Amino acid sequence: MNWWAEQPNTIPARSVEEENVRRSVILSRLQDLLSWGRKNSMWPFNFGLSCCYVEMASSLTSKWDIARFGAEVIRGTPREADLLVVAGTVFIKMAPIIKQLYEQMMEPRWVISMGSCANSGGMFDVYSVVQGVDTFLPVDVYVQGCPPRPDSLMEGLLLLRDAVGSERRPLSWVVGPQGTWRPPMPDLRDAHRPARTSLTVLRSPDEVK
Amino acid sequence: MIAAAMPPVLDQVKERFPDVTVQPVLDAIPTVWASAATTHELLRYLKHDVEAPYRFLYDLSAIDERLHRNRGNGVRSDFTIVYHLLSYDRNEFFRVKTPLEGEYPTTRSITDVWPMANWYEREVWDMFGIRFEGHPHLVRILMPRWWEGHPLRKEHPSRGTEMPRFTLPDDKMDSQQGQLRFRPEDWGMASGTEDRDFMFLNVGPQHPGTHGVLRIALQLDGETIVDCVPDIGYHHRATEKMGERQTWHTFIPYTDRVDYLGGVVNEMAYLAAVEKMAGITIPPRAQVIRVMLMEVFRIMSHLVWYGTFSQDMGQLSPVFFTFNDREVGYQIIEAITGFRMHPAWFRIGGTAMDLPNGWDRLVREFLDYMPKRLAEYDREIMRNGIFRARTMGIGECTREQAIEWGMTGPNLRATGFAWDFRKAQPYSGYEQFEFDVPISKRGDCYGRAEVRVEEMRQSLRIIEQCLKNMPPGPYKSDHPLATPPVKPRTMHDIETLITHFLGVSWGTPIPPCEVLGNIEATKGANGYYLVSDGSTVAYRTRIRTPSFAHMQMLPLLANGGMVPDLLAVLGAMDFVLADVDR
Repeated sequence: MNWWAEQPNTIPARSVEEENVRRSVILSRLQDLLSWGRKNSMWPFNFGLSCCYVEMASSLTSKWDIARFGAEVIRGTPREADLLVVAGTVFIKMAPIIKQLYEQMMEPRWVISMGSCANSGGMFDVYSVVQGVDTFLPVDVYVQGCPPRPDSLMEGLLLLRDAVGSERRPLSWVVGPQGTWRPPMPDLRDAHRPARTSLTVLRSPDEVK
Repeated sequence: MIAAAMPPVLDQVKERFPDVTVQPVLDAIPTVWASAATTHELLRYLKHDVEAPYRFLYDLSAIDERLHRNRGNGVRSDFTIVYHLLSYDRNEFFRVKTPLEGEYPTTRSITDVWPMANWYEREVWDMFGIRFEGHPHLVRILMPRWWEGHPLRKEHPSRGTEMPRFTLPDDKMDSQQGQLRFRPEDWGMASGTEDRDFMFLNVGPQHPGTHGVLRIALQLDGETIVDCVPDIGYHHRATEKMGERQTWHTFIPYTDRVDYLGGVVNEMAYLAAVEKMAGITIPPRAQVIRVMLMEVFRIMSHLVWYGTFSQDMGQLSPVFFTFNDREVGYQIIEAITGFRMHPAWFRIGGTAMDLPNGWDRLVREFLDYMPKRLAEYDREIMRNGIFRARTMGIGECTREQAIEWGMTGPNLRATGFAWDFRKAQPYSGYEQFEFDVPISKRGDCYGRAEVRVEEMRQSLRIIEQCLKNMPPGPYKSDHPLATPPVKPRTMHDIETLITHFLGVSWGTPIPPCEVLGNIEATKGANGYYLVSDGSTVAYRTRIRTPSFAHMQMLPLLANGGMVPDLLAVLGAMDFVLADVDR
């Protein structure tokens, strides 16, 4: 669903009344309207574990400005948040706390695993670190990096946003299969491969951009 | 290997305690082995009675010596407790090593000599299973209470993948969460007096005001804090165990993540020790490049502190401004190192690469940009009435308390004591730079802010001198232990090429020795105590971080204040949880 009431290059309105109607009426299904709302206002939980959180905080500030994608309203309590960004290392001592915070979030809720530690343990294959937050939480998007740059996090957020926008969550009992339908998540490695393989000349590290 | 001349303090110690054994060491710190029975008296003597006493317990840790191929000086020991003392009057360290025998030995606590030994001894118990008799509250500090084993013992698994796969079924989660339930008596707190009940407030581990995963239990009388107890270990990332697995060279990226706002500053602390062990002299250009990057990181770390501290005090805008300033600094860091937060760009013997063409333009822009911003923040934050009201007279401590409890860095300098490793024990050529050590006589949260703000200006001064006087020459030493070796060195014959190959694939062997390297990190004194037994990995890596000692001081600073003052104290302290728990 588009969020604007008017589109360019449409047939011009034949009367002022018709133009006014076009400007003020959106025809949509309720289900689409809700997912449009969800997609454009994902409120993250103010939750940080370690280094990645500093980059997550950077993404809120004006150079990166995650507000462009509707995800700047940081909530201090899990009950008001839609999105849990697991930003940092998942320590064994923290794991039950993270799970409890996740369980306190209201449905629908989504999880971004930010950074190598949360994805897989990363460089910290050690006794005190859980080797990947997906051992006990369902993860929607993995963002790679140690820590990921703010733009990587925003790329992950955009992926999640698109998925949330096309999710199907029935508003009541429906005929046929029950439950939420989620679109399959794209694999960015494959999506980026053509562009990456076509790169033959890399910028020299000896020159400042 | 042998120190040139025996320092006079060793003669005095030998005379008073004839049964101690002097160990010659590479880093020229007077080192003695003292039996468990003698240690207590010896430490008391060194703290109180010797002239120019060692008032500061710089570090306390242990070594599991059971697999050590090069145990010191014929002293038999299964576990060694290592005490590092620092005398500000002498500007000298002293090292006392206590040999203990047996699988789970016991020794006497020194908490009656130094109260600050409390957390350090708890950490040794947690990590090694060594008991301290007379310790007031010997429980685990970093690992969860339900943990089996003591991680820094050599038989404990290092890798997470060596251990059973982590799962979190509901009953395990309930039992672990149940252990976190707050019971005042477990924390040494009374639930009330005769005529009133106390209220208890649990802050954290997930709380926006704690700057990370820190838990604090508050005992409140109304809104006044009667007592507060920090509970740490939620950020324990096992960096010291990692040092026993990664080669000398491949451990460098892990150091970045100890004080994760300090970036290359951590690498310098580690390399200060490694390069002393290897006997490498750093070329001047590499030294100046290092100083320049470290000072950029110091400013960027202070900017995070500045913004978040003022946010804690209720100002919503400055954090956005200071984070934008960090982006200007990141342009320098990114152009030179190719990374933002954790560059891992210093190498044993120098840096990874030379500076790129055009670096000077970026640095010049930064130097032109920052002073105006700092002047703006003076108006906006430091002279703001609410900010002043909430920080002045809050969280005060005296210089004596600061030394007694191991406060270092800007927090120590805010008590009017101008001590800075960059001046007192210069490294990386800091003695050639002109800069002042800012102090404040206030000793409160506002004083800590004043010191850091002025430090940013001094860092700009240092960066300016780097810009104007960048020496020519190589960026890496051609010492054989420099890792990886400079490329032309490897091209002479097959031997040098093989050496290069082995150095990269197996690692560089460092001769058997032990060294303490110290620097002035962004948050205070950061030290790496490294023990080598001649292998390509460290036998023991001990990281002395400033935030650990600062966090232990929290009750001293916050008790008697109000709950909102706690956030002022935490914000002004400028800690990073990774630096507390490692």
